[in-house]
Amino acid sequence: MTAIAGPLLSATINGVTYGATLFLVAVGLSLIFGVLRVLNVAHGSFYALGAFTAASAWLLISALGWPPLCIYPALVISALVVGVAVGPVVERGLLRWTFGIEAEAARENAQLLATYAIFLMLEDAQKLIWGGQPYYSGSALRLLGITRINGIPYTNYQLLLILVAVLVLIALRILLRGTKMGKFVLAVAEDPEVSSAMGIPVARIYTVAFTVGAILAALGGALASPTIGVNTGIGSEMIVLSFAVVAIAGLGQIEGAAVAALVIGVGHSIAVFFFPALSSVIPYATMLLVLVFKPYGLFAAAQVRRI
Amino acid sequence: MSAPLLEARGVDLHFGGVQAAKDVNLQIFPGEFFFIIGQNGAGKSTFLNICTGYLKPQRGEILFQGRPITGLAPRAITRAGIARAFQHPQLFMQRSVRDNLRFAVAAHGTGFWRPWRALDDPHFDAPARRLLQLCDLERVAAQPAAKVAEGFRKLLDVALALALEPTLLLLDEPTSGVSSADKHGIMTTLAQALRKERVTAVFVEHDMEVVRRFADRVGVWANGQILISGPPEAVLDDPHVREFVL
Repeated sequence: MTAIAGPLLSATINGVTYGATLFLVAVGLSLIFGVLRVLNVAHGSFYALGAFTAASAWLLISALGWPPLCIYPALVISALVVGVAVGPVVERGLLRWTFGIEAEAARENAQLLATYAIFLMLEDAQKLIWGGQPYYSGSALRLLGITRINGIPYTNYQLLLILVAVLVLIALRILLRGTKMGKFVLAVAEDPEVSSAMGIPVARIYTVAFTVGAILAALGGALASPTIGVNTGIGSEMIVLSFAVVAIAGLGQIEGAAVAALVIGVGHSIAVFFFPALSSVIPYATMLLVLVFKPYGLFAAAQVRRI
Repeated sequence: MSAPLLEARGVDLHFGGVQAAKDVNLQIFPGEFFFIIGQNGAGKSTFLNICTGYLKPQRGEILFQGRPITGLAPRAITRAGIARAFQHPQLFMQRSVRDNLRFAVAAHGTGFWRPWRALDDPHFDAPARRLLQLCDLERVAAQPAAKVAEGFRKLLDVALALALEPTLLLLDEPTSGVSSADKHGIMTTLAQALRKERVTAVFVEHDMEVVRRFADRVGVWANGQILISGPPEAVLDDPHVREFVL
């Protein structure tokens, strides 16, 4: 393999892995916007809470002397616990009060401020509960062994992340297009007033969509936790990247979010390998480029149907 | 005479200085088609909004099957058995007529049970087919609601309301926006469907030919009040009504 091709392959595989996590978080953000029309700034905090809870689960499993493989179901359970605990509380307890604001601009401002306030509160809550030191649960990364691709070792856990993202994408497609609940979600995303007139329980669909979105963000955090140092601040970094993914895809686009997450993940990873100084700029430069030519994102059908 | 299905007792509602309902007393009996007529702004649609919980009267009460429903939320009133068809049908315009009906059937009564069930599952599809047949919509079933004639959209709106299995249906101008040539055909289909389903109906209507042909009783609204009510021939031929209302 040539001097360029080897690092390029590595960068691509790393990028796809990174994109998989990014997709899980961004698709949750996209789902929430598609159904509730709320740009959820607190979404990054759900990601961080998922990561912290999963890291704590790892510590607990180690302390109790349980088999290390217990960590994998624990990652998923952590995400479910965080999503189910936080999602309905934020949606029913806070956002629901903003839905009655008639003027669209005032409603959107109130929702942005409300979710930003939640974000700030959850950031402080993380510092209070988990302190300022990073948590590492990297052992979980190595439990599943490694696979060599072109002589370069990759943890199987990284490859599992890609599989999980693909499964989530397929599951979301099947749930949304093939079930009554999914069709109700699509109907509410299309027109909440008509949905309500038809007897679809719009308020419950809002809660379900927000909770699923929160679970997806927390799942992204939980699954990423073995690959990163879990520290306060990871939520703010992730929400900005997720916004970039959603802006590139077009708000409310699920398959589009997968493509955009891949683009950003691989772009970021290639930059890390070849132009390290530009690595943090690449996602936003990509977003800027897309928005200059496609102001509504790459998948502009978002204007007609949002998810 | 049987007990009234719906009863309004001394209902008052005003918006600032505008009296939208003034001491409205009315009884609707099971199986009848009651038509409300009157000029624009007379309070006809306001009365339907009060009956369906979208507006709460400042005085008086509404009873349905002998039980007070004043102030209940619209969904609770729908669950009690009162459905509504709107002047401007609320439809998923890009979806097919059949899919619109499947949505309404799926949303009714099933709550969140078996949320994984597909929308084209026979559990939802069979009632939707029956309603398509009942409202003579089979030939446009596969077409998007946006592509069918207004008359079909009106019938679809009624079919959606019937999916809720109501005892009483309130219809706000079901033939508005429909050509004169199609009005009677649509009303005939609609009336047959309602009779077959044994649904009592209250219509708000402007077309006096339709009223004369399909009404069992007529009530004339003016300034939020009922001026007169009775059989169509007696009401529509009343000189006072002819001079000041029609």
